[in-house]
Amino acid sequence: MLERILARWQGLALSLIGIVSISWLALSGQLGLYIHPRYFVFTVVMAILGGLLTLAAFAVTPEKDEHEHESEQLEPAAPRGRWRVVLPLAGIVAIALAFVALVIVPPSTLTTATVENRELNSSATGVESDTSSNVELAGSDVSSLSLRDWVSLLRDGSGSDFVVGKTTTLSGFVTADSSDPENVFYLTRFVITCCAVDAQPIGVPVYSPGWSSTYAVDSWVEAKGTFALNPSGKSSESVVMANPTVSAIDQPAEPYAY
Amino acid sequence: MPMLDPMISSPPLPVAPARATSRHRRGVIGVGVGLALTAAVFATRVLAPSSTADQLPNVARDFLTLSISVIVESIPFVFLGIILSIVVQIWLPESLMQRVLPTRPVLRRAVMSLLGVLLPVCECGNVPLTRGMMVKGLTVAESMTFLLAAPILNPVTIITTYQAFGWDNGILAARIIGGFLIANLIGWLFSKHPRPEELLTRGFEASCRVGHDHASHTPRLQLSIVAFSSEASAMLPALFIGSAIAGLIQVGVSRDVLIALGSNPVWSVLALMALAFVIAICSNVDAFFILSFGSTFMPGAIVAFLVFGAMVDVKMLALLRTTFTTSTLTRLTLVVALAALVLGLGVNLIA
Repeated sequence: MLERILARWQGLALSLIGIVSISWLALSGQLGLYIHPRYFVFTVVMAILGGLLTLAAFAVTPEKDEHEHESEQLEPAAPRGRWRVVLPLAGIVAIALAFVALVIVPPSTLTTATVENRELNSSATGVESDTSSNVELAGSDVSSLSLRDWVSLLRDGSGSDFVVGKTTTLSGFVTADSSDPENVFYLTRFVITCCAVDAQPIGVPVYSPGWSSTYAVDSWVEAKGTFALNPSGKSSESVVMANPTVSAIDQPAEPYAY
Repeated sequence: MPMLDPMISSPPLPVAPARATSRHRRGVIGVGVGLALTAAVFATRVLAPSSTADQLPNVARDFLTLSISVIVESIPFVFLGIILSIVVQIWLPESLMQRVLPTRPVLRRAVMSLLGVLLPVCECGNVPLTRGMMVKGLTVAESMTFLLAAPILNPVTIITTYQAFGWDNGILAARIIGGFLIANLIGWLFSKHPRPEELLTRGFEASCRVGHDHASHTPRLQLSIVAFSSEASAMLPALFIGSAIAGLIQVGVSRDVLIALGSNPVWSVLALMALAFVIAICSNVDAFFILSFGSTFMPGAIVAFLVFGAMVDVKMLALLRTTFTTSTLTRLTLVVALAALVLGLGVNLIA
């Protein structure tokens, strides 16, 4: 009995939860926390189609009594033995967990826990052809360069001549520099290519002794400063943003870099 | 409810008017219940307190964010796959597939593996579609060939791979040719199985048997909607579980370990295959992802990532388990992994 009910409603319940969650994220402008903007339209269109089919499925009952042989094809065969008890329970637990995760818990960005897990500025995350053209376009006016552009300039050894002495304003969340956590923190953002699963952290180092007494790790800040050779002896970064004016900000609507 | 009209206004068999109205009424009530539920869930979502996130530890937050992002990314493809599967099962003329496909098994599978060009769904959407093909009467081996080849041999994947790598080091060519060969190798291997029905889970095998000879007198639209709800019941729990596992592995396993192995010709191939297995992103976009690691990895490793990841990963195994037995999936994974490894090492040797 229980498994019959589950077989019919489990999929619809999960699809309802998924669809409500996606449409609410889209309506409140938070879909970008999970996927790259280029998938917004496709995701919303498929959610609407799925929603219509789910609603229609509420109206149509598989007619077990009339077409025994036909509706059989549409229901999974009954499991045997102990699975008879475990499977329906697992099904209910899965629905409950999905409900809590997608409907109750507020959406959030990735945190420093993931930065620690995935090396900051690992390899050449930011170095792509469009960065150098961005830099050329910018010329002497560097205000249009993004955090990602700066990261690749800092990584690319030949860029440091260009970088030193330039002043800019950048924002990101705070993570500590592992080689000199007292004096240097990073303005950090995640780069997303498809969805949050592939997020790669990137960061611009900021020299600000004693920063941790004012700004908590994971909090969002905006920093204005001039790039200079790193005064810290311990840090592994050679060029940092120095003499910064740092101010706390709210998490921006688009927290990731693309 | 215009969608429901055909089933109500043109019943397949003469039905007593009283029954028709009672069914009509049940339909209206069902939609009403559905709408009310949707509204209730939506209201819960809007009213849920937004402060609770800060109370969760960072690791738990990231686990949720990562798992949800896999779900949000995959659900549209799963819906698309289910819709296409319904089209294949219920709306395509019974004989079309058999008429169009060549009769020699090898050629048949070769054609099946090119079908992805017409149906650009990423791998998670291919699972329901493949199930639809088997219900429609295609053999297990043929459907498997499609399942493995379609995520690679489809226009979206080819274009994104080209955008990411161009013709560098033959990565694009190796991905396309390698994907085609491996899919057909798997198809050939499993076509040798004496009792292919044993490759399938009992539940799904039963639905295939019934599917073959159903002389339908229920309206197609109604069949389609019932099929949607049953496919959703099969696919979505697997998708949610697969996403949770993917999220869990992501917070648990440090990626640095894998990347540290990047420059060794042998280890880099294995490391990227492991990465592809745990990261579970769609084949349509994985080229951009791996490109973001830049020059860390050898081209053979990238090819192995692009081929293996498109065919097998944690999320896919969860989805495939709805259809194939564990031992089938173990063999499939082993053969694909070995073949991808050979392909990757070969590319490293040449490049």
